[in-house]
Parts: sequence; C-alpha cells; structure tokens
Amino acid sequence: MRGFEFLRPGTLNEASALLATGDAAARPFAGGTGLMLMMKTGVFSPSRLVCLRQTEAEHRAITPTGDGGARIGALASLSQIEHDPLLCRLAPVIARTMTTLANVRVRNVARIGGTLAHGDPHMDMPPTLAALRASVVTSGTASRTVPVEALYAGYYETILQPGELISAVLLPDQTGWHSVYLKCTTRSADDWPALGVAVSVRMDGTTITDSRVIISAATEKLTRVAAAEAVLNGATAGLAAFTAAGEAARAVETIEDARGSAAYKTELVGVYVRRALQQATGAGGN
Amino acid sequence: MNEIRSISAKQVGRDVPRLESRQKVTGRAEYTHNITLPGMLYAKLCRSTVAHGRILSIDVSAARDLPGVHAVYTGETIRTLIAEPYFGPAFHDQPILAIGKVHFVGEPIAVVLAADPYVAAEAAQMIVAEYEELPAVFDEVEAMTSAAIVHETLKPAGTFADLKHLSGKSNTNVALDYQLRRGDTDAAFAAAEHVFEHEFHTQQVMHTPLEPMVSIAEPGDNCLTIYTASQSPSFVCTEIARLFGWRENQVRVKVPYLGGGFGAKLYIKLEALVAAAAMLARRPVKLSLTMEEQFYTITKHASTFRIKSAVNKDGRITARRCEIFWNGGAFADIGPRVTQKSGFTSPGPYDIDNVSVDSYALYTNRPPAGALRGFGIPQLVWAYESHTDLLARGIGMDAVEFRRRNLLREGRPQATGTLMHDAAIIEVLDKTAELMNWTAPFERGEGVIRRGRAIAIGFKAVVAPTTSGAIVNLSADGSAALYMSTVDMGQGSDTAMAQIVAETLGLVAERVKVVHPDTDVTPYDMATLGSRSTFHMGNAVKLASLHALEQLGAMAREVGLPEGTNYEIRDIFLKKYGMQAGNIIGVGSYVPPYTSPQKGTGLSDNVTPFWMVGAAGVELSVDTETGHVTIDRLINVADVGRPLNPAIVATQLSGAAMMQLGFTLFENMDLDHGQVTNASLADYKIPGMHDLPTVMDNVIVDNNQQNGPYGAKGVGETATFGVSPAIANAIEDAVGVRLTSLPLTPESVLRGIRALRGEKLEG
Repeated sequence: MRGFEFLRPGTLNEASALLATGDAAARPFAGGTGLMLMMKTGVFSPSRLVCLRQTEAEHRAITPTGDGGARIGALASLSQIEHDPLLCRLAPVIARTMTTLANVRVRNVARIGGTLAHGDPHMDMPPTLAALRASVVTSGTASRTVPVEALYAGYYETILQPGELISAVLLPDQTGWHSVYLKCTTRSADDWPALGVAVSVRMDGTTITDSRVIISAATEKLTRVAAAEAVLNGATAGLAAFTAAGEAARAVETIEDARGSAAYKTELVGVYVRRALQQATGAGGN
Repeated sequence: MNEIRSISAKQVGRDVPRLESRQKVTGRAEYTHNITLPGMLYAKLCRSTVAHGRILSIDVSAARDLPGVHAVYTGETIRTLIAEPYFGPAFHDQPILAIGKVHFVGEPIAVVLAADPYVAAEAAQMIVAEYEELPAVFDEVEAMTSAAIVHETLKPAGTFADLKHLSGKSNTNVALDYQLRRGDTDAAFAAAEHVFEHEFHTQQVMHTPLEPMVSIAEPGDNCLTIYTASQSPSFVCTEIARLFGWRENQVRVKVPYLGGGFGAKLYIKLEALVAAAAMLARRPVKLSLTMEEQFYTITKHASTFRIKSAVNKDGRITARRCEIFWNGGAFADIGPRVTQKSGFTSPGPYDIDNVSVDSYALYTNRPPAGALRGFGIPQLVWAYESHTDLLARGIGMDAVEFRRRNLLREGRPQATGTLMHDAAIIEVLDKTAELMNWTAPFERGEGVIRRGRAIAIGFKAVVAPTTSGAIVNLSADGSAALYMSTVDMGQGSDTAMAQIVAETLGLVAERVKVVHPDTDVTPYDMATLGSRSTFHMGNAVKLASLHALEQLGAMAREVGLPEGTNYEIRDIFLKKYGMQAGNIIGVGSYVPPYTSPQKGTGLSDNVTPFWMVGAAGVELSVDTETGHVTIDRLINVADVGRPLNPAIVATQLSGAAMMQLGFTLFENMDLDHGQVTNASLADYKIPGMHDLPTVMDNVIVDNNQQNGPYGAKGVGETATFGVSPAIANAIEDAVGVRLTSLPLTPESVLRGIRALRGEKLEG
C-alpha cells in the first residue's frame, strides 16, 4: 500500500475544503470501519484521508429539536445512538436494530454520518432512518437538507458532491407512528442481509393514515416503495392490507448475489414486508 | 514442586484444564506470526489471474525497481537453486512458483521480498504476466473425460504403492482410480426386491483457520531453520531435504502453537517457497498469508457421489455400488489418499455382502483440495446417510429400525473384509435414538412453521499405517518433560499427552512439560491429522513412559530398594547419584499392524487399527414461506473409546459439529470461471455464536478401544460425520423436500417446497 496523506482538520468546513480537490481518491474518514475494510482488501487506495474526529466535540451531540424530534450530530457513534435515552424514547426501533448491526466493537467506532454516506445498500441504519422519515443536513459550500431515502444514487453511490459532508441527521416527531426493521440473512446470522425491510405506519384507530415502506440490501440501492405505501394508506390494518402491500413491494427490482437469486429475494420481499407490518401494528397475526 | 507418586492416580479420564490456557488468554503463547528475526524480509506473492494458461511472459521490472524491494523471484529463479522445484505428498505436481503454465486462478507466479511488507505487497501488484489461455475444466465429473488436461504428465511422489502405476501417464486428469470389489453386486442387484439409486453433491469449502498460514525460513551454512504453522513438521523436514538434495539433519523445523489447522496446514504449503527464497536472498524470509489468500491455498474437495443399493423384502441391504468423484483442484495434495482411505468406507457402516466402490481423484482447474476435518468422510456420510434414509422411506420402514437391521456388528466384516472390533456402532445409534425419544410422538409444528427430525450415523477408519515416536525425560527431581512432534493446534493434544505421561509415571498432569515440535529435538511423527494423534502418539507416549518407568525400577533395584518402593522418584535419584543429578530417557515408537489392500479388490484383513463412530440427531423447524431452517436441537453422539479428558472431548465434538453445520447450511466458495468471487470473511461466512442450535448435546458412549492408550482413540473429526445428512433428512421429514446438494440454503428449501406444489419461483 502506497503512503497517503492523513489530515486532521478542526472544522467540517476545513475538511470540506481539503476534500473538494477533484481527486476521487481523497475521502473523509470518520469511524473508518467501512473504509478500512476496502483499503485492506485493496478495493480502495486513498491519496488523502481527511479525518473528521477533531470535529467530534461539535458534531456528536444528540439533542431535542423542540418540535418533538431530534438532531443527531454526524460524528455520533452508533453505540452512542444505541444507548441515547432521547432516541430510545423517540424511536426504539433504532436501539433494536443496533443489536444485530455488526458487533459492539464496530458500533463503538462507526459514526452515523459515515454509515449513511458510505452508500453500501446492505447497511441497517439507512433503511431504518428512512422509514423514520429522517433527513441529513450537509455542510460545505451549498448546505442542504436531504431525506435519507433520496441520498442514494446507486450501488455505493450517493448524491453528495465532493467536499459535501453530512453534518447531522434530523429525526422528526414519531408520535402516532409504529416502526419495525427486519433483517433477513440467508447464510450465517452475522452475514450482510439478503434483505432489509423497514416500515413505519401511522395509525388512526385501525385505519392506516400514512406509511413508509423501505427495502434495502436486495436492491441496488435503498428503495422507498411508494406502491406498497399506496396500498396501505387509508386501508384498515390487517392481514389483507399487509399481504397486498407485500405483493405490491415485490415490484422492486432485486439483484442476485451469493445470498440468493433475484427471484428468491422477491419472495422474501413479499413475506418480510407483510411480517414487518404485522409486527409494527400488532395486527393481522404474526 | 514436590512430585509425589502416591497422589497421582486417575490422571486419565480427568478434566485437566488445558495446560496452555493461561498463556493463551494472557497473550503469551507463542505463534509463528509473532516471530521476527534479525534482517528478516517479508514475502508477498503475485498470483495467476487465469485458470489455465501457458505463461508467455512475467515482467517484474517495475516491481524490482520499486524502492525498498530486495528481490523478485519467479519459477525460473527458483530453478537456478532447485532443478526440479515440485513438491507434494502424493504427487510431485506443485511448483514452488509456476513454471511454464498456471493451473488455477491464484497460483503463485512470483514472489517479492522487502524489509517492509507493504512495499512487498505494492511491488507484487506491479508484476505483469501474459498468458496464452488454455481450455479449463472445473467440474469433477467432466474432468473424467474432458479435453482440458490439467497436468501433461502424472508424477507420483513414490511414497504410496497404489499410485505407482500412474507414473508417467499422460492425457488424464485421474490422479487415482481406486476400486473395491466384494461379493457379486451384479447378481445381487438382479435378484433384488427393491433397487434405489441417487446422486449427491458437495461444494468446495475452506478450512478457515483464524490464524492464516505463515512460515519463516532462516538460512544457515548449508542448513535451514524453518519456523512454521504446520501440522506436519516431520514431513516438512523430509520434503525440504529432498528438494535441496540435503540430509534431513540439515533442515530444522520448529512449530509453536497453531491457531487452528483442520487439515489446512498439512504436508508442505508455504515452507518450500520461504526456504528457496531464503537461500536465494541469504536472509530470513517470512510469508504470512492474508485470510483472502487462504482461499487460493487449500480447500475441501467438492464431490459427486453416485450410490445404488439393493434391498430385500426384510429390509436388509444386499448390495451397494458407490461411485465417487473427488474434485481435487489443480494439485493433488493428499487427495489420492482421501480417495482411497475414505473411499473404502463409502458403503457406510453397514453389513452388506456385495459391495463395489469406484473412487476417483481428479485434477481440475480449481484451487487445490486436501484434507479437512474428516479426510473425505463427511462428503461420504452426507451421501450414504441421505441415501439410507431414502431407502427406509422407500420401503416404508422406520429410519432407526432400518439402520439397526443393517449396521455392522462386532466381529462382522466391513467392506474391505476387515472384521469390526471395538466400534460401538449399534450403541451410538441406540443412544442417539434414546436421547431423541425416537419412539415418542413428535410435535410437527403448525401454520407456516413445520418441524422434522432425523438421524444419521457414519464411521471412519483411521489412516494406516502411520508412525509416531516420543521421548520422556524424567529429571532427577521427579519432574517430566515430553518431547513429541504432535502439534497442538487447539485440539488439546498437549494436555491429553501429559495426562498419559502422568498416568503412567504416577505424576500430576499439570506439571508435565510438553516440548513443542522441533525436528532437531523431538522425534518423528507422521503428522497431526485424521484423529490419529490420541491413538498413535498416545501409544508412543505410553511406551516411552513405560520405558522410563522400567529404567526407574532398575535404578531402584540398583540402589537396593525393594520392588514397589514408596520412595519418591527424586529420592531414588538421590540414592544413586548422591546429589540431584542425572536423568532417565524413555523412548517409545508406535506403528500399528496393517495389511495392504489387494490391488483390484481392495480387500484386506486388517485395514485400520481402529474405527471412529459418530451420529447426529436433529430436530428442526422450517419456515415454509422463506425456506429458513432453524436447528432446534442437535445431538452429537460419539464412540471415542475411553475419553482421556472428557471436557476436551466434549469441546472437540461441539466444535466439529458446528464446523460441519457451516458446511451444511451455507459455506460455499463461489467460483466464476475458476475465480473465487467471495474470498474474504465478509463474503464467505462461517458459523458464529448466533448460528448455534437452540440446544446442542454432546454425548460419549461407553466403550474401550482395547489397543488404544488407556482405551482411548481419536475424536477430532467424529462429530462432523452425521450433521449434514441428519439435517437434510430432517428437512424432508418436515416439509417433504429432498435436497441432494450442499449447502442446504433457505432458497433451495423454498424452491423444493414450491416444486412440490408444482410451482416455480418467478424469475
């Protein structure tokens, strides 16, 4: 491995400037759990790594937003998020998802900003946060707020521009919403998922008033399934609606890999969307 | 420090904690990866990118010019040192670095040496090779008749008599065509009430020791010291000496602890390369493989097994025909021995009068395959126990009763004609059925979850004939040290052997020192493989201890002490020497009796010194919507003779079963035109804690191996035997789906469920 620059700027703006060089081999480095794997296997050889840890004091806080939601600094570690009392109250699905996300050593080091920016469709936090209607705030020359579901352009691709860094995740109020993330592995239990399904359902009595259905891992990128949501919205929570939503979700384009064929993953999508909705609402059996 | 003889009883059969536990958990245990030597260079390999091709050129100039690179060698450089740089235990088919052509994707073609391993790694990437691609063959059955020929000429090593007829043969990929014939199978099939025929497949998988392979060679004046993570230091010594045309005493091989072996670190792997590189560079050279590189080094045979049985109206198997094709990959390694030594047990532990076996070792353009925890037996049991369940089902007989009716009993001839002794086959079956409460009704699940249960039983003959030697040094203070070349790779051999010394000499096992393999110091041992150490080395250690005891008795008589004196050992020495001085050296060597099988028939009246028997009982649940299988209960029942250390035996059983569980349910080397596409632990998954069955029981049946040390025999592989077929049989019991190829993935289960309904998965 050839040598590379390792820079430690004190602010995200400085970091952005150091990264906006037009060099694709210059990358930000937060927890490093994804990047180091790529470097060790020779998939990625950096020319410059811009370490964001010096900005941690400013960008790792998890704070209430005043409108019932929360703001998570991009440098917050996954463990910090997992154990944060505010987030545990607001969206317990996050802490539950963490228990099957990598392992405690990885969660202690990985940062939420890097987790979202990595663009790997097999990760657990992006679908979970997308189902929770979260957005990311970016820093850099043109700061913007982007829904998590709109962050991804393709396999390991995001819409982030060179030098554009995620500075925070905004989580809206979850009152009335019920959320579940289901991870389906087809080899060892600790494998990358063959399919990730995250659903959120807003209920008024037994009527579904709003929903989010997010598919990941089986698809090229995280995918929000509007067709399944359309089936759910306005329907009565129950097996019929959930089965129909699962059927609608099967329209997503799944991809074949060592974890299963595209056809098999499509089967899993139908079953897991239905089961996630059953678990989220407690309706329609389990 | 006082070693008192009278408190020493019952060292065997006691749960002595592993002698090395404290060293290991405190990070003090010595491993080859931790060794650095003054002036040492790090080696990194450049590997073939094509599965089969003639090498047109290898351009190493850019690599050689990279600052920090000490040297770059190719096969041609090696030839300036060694004229015929080919090695291997069965065939001399593996070049130290490729010469003329490459045989698989990942074959080493050049090595870079540098003081900085990162410089060496970068330089290795700068080497450019050009190939003329040749037709390649990847499937073991196709290799029987393919136009693609992996090796132009077969070069048997000369060590094994049954390979001699292959010397110089060309235009073939068959590296051994083993056959066994007993009785008249044709007549029996013609007369049969029922005939069943099936074909089963296993996939290529890897040993995945968590300590990747590593070797260091330190050159001296016409001599070499090799530090290596090897299961067979004696073989490394012999083979390096042969390659260099040296005496064995010019090569010293030292082996510390291993972080797992499972057959991956057998015979000779990286040692020839570091030895040649060190002699060329005149500097110590270390090669540490990455986890990824292990996928290109040694694997477990993929296989195809065609099995046909005749069953009469009483449910007795009257004939069985076995045809097995072993996918050996590019180099034979020990594949031909797997083909024969496992091949002769391929009809299973059944009493069948008419048997025919054809077992073929095949070269293909895949990464090489060798021995992996079972020496081929798990592939065979997978097939014959799946088949046996289908026979019982086919004639409408209970699966346990059908087996009980057909299993080999004490004194009956196995397929080779060797009479069975001390093999607790029936006892293992009965214990498994009892633990499963087999005759009681079984909860079969409801809704989308369906439950099933099944058993499977297999056996293995330990590889024969093999030799072990041991030295016991009894010091004047009464303490003992054991010198042996058995490698403790995590299986607990140091502890078990110390228990044998202690039991024999009347010492405390925890205080026996075990000196690790060093071919300048420790005597010859064939290798640590195939569950042979407890029996062979155990017998040698016992003989060495008895030899020491005999000398101690003579010393006692010499100083005038009566027979059976209660004098402590150190007092006997004190009486003889007048001070704490002197020592007693006990030596022991063991090679069991053996009769070579007859050529053609494969028959022998003594084909092995002992049999291992293992069964698995499985209860599982199938999610009929996704095909996911949950193992609710796995029962591993084994005949290990008399366990020397029951606690370690239990961990060997659970470890072996878990390893086989991974091979059964998901482990699989994905290959694309010979290229492994999942060569990393991120993409090749092995079982973890969360994959454990909900309940797992490890049970030892009462038995005594009469020719074993204190009644003991091997244990490391036994619990691998039954796992795969028991799970497949239980899946059929649950949902009616019969799977004939490993791994038993959720997708294959779901496809089977849909096929039963006449549906296909879309797409």
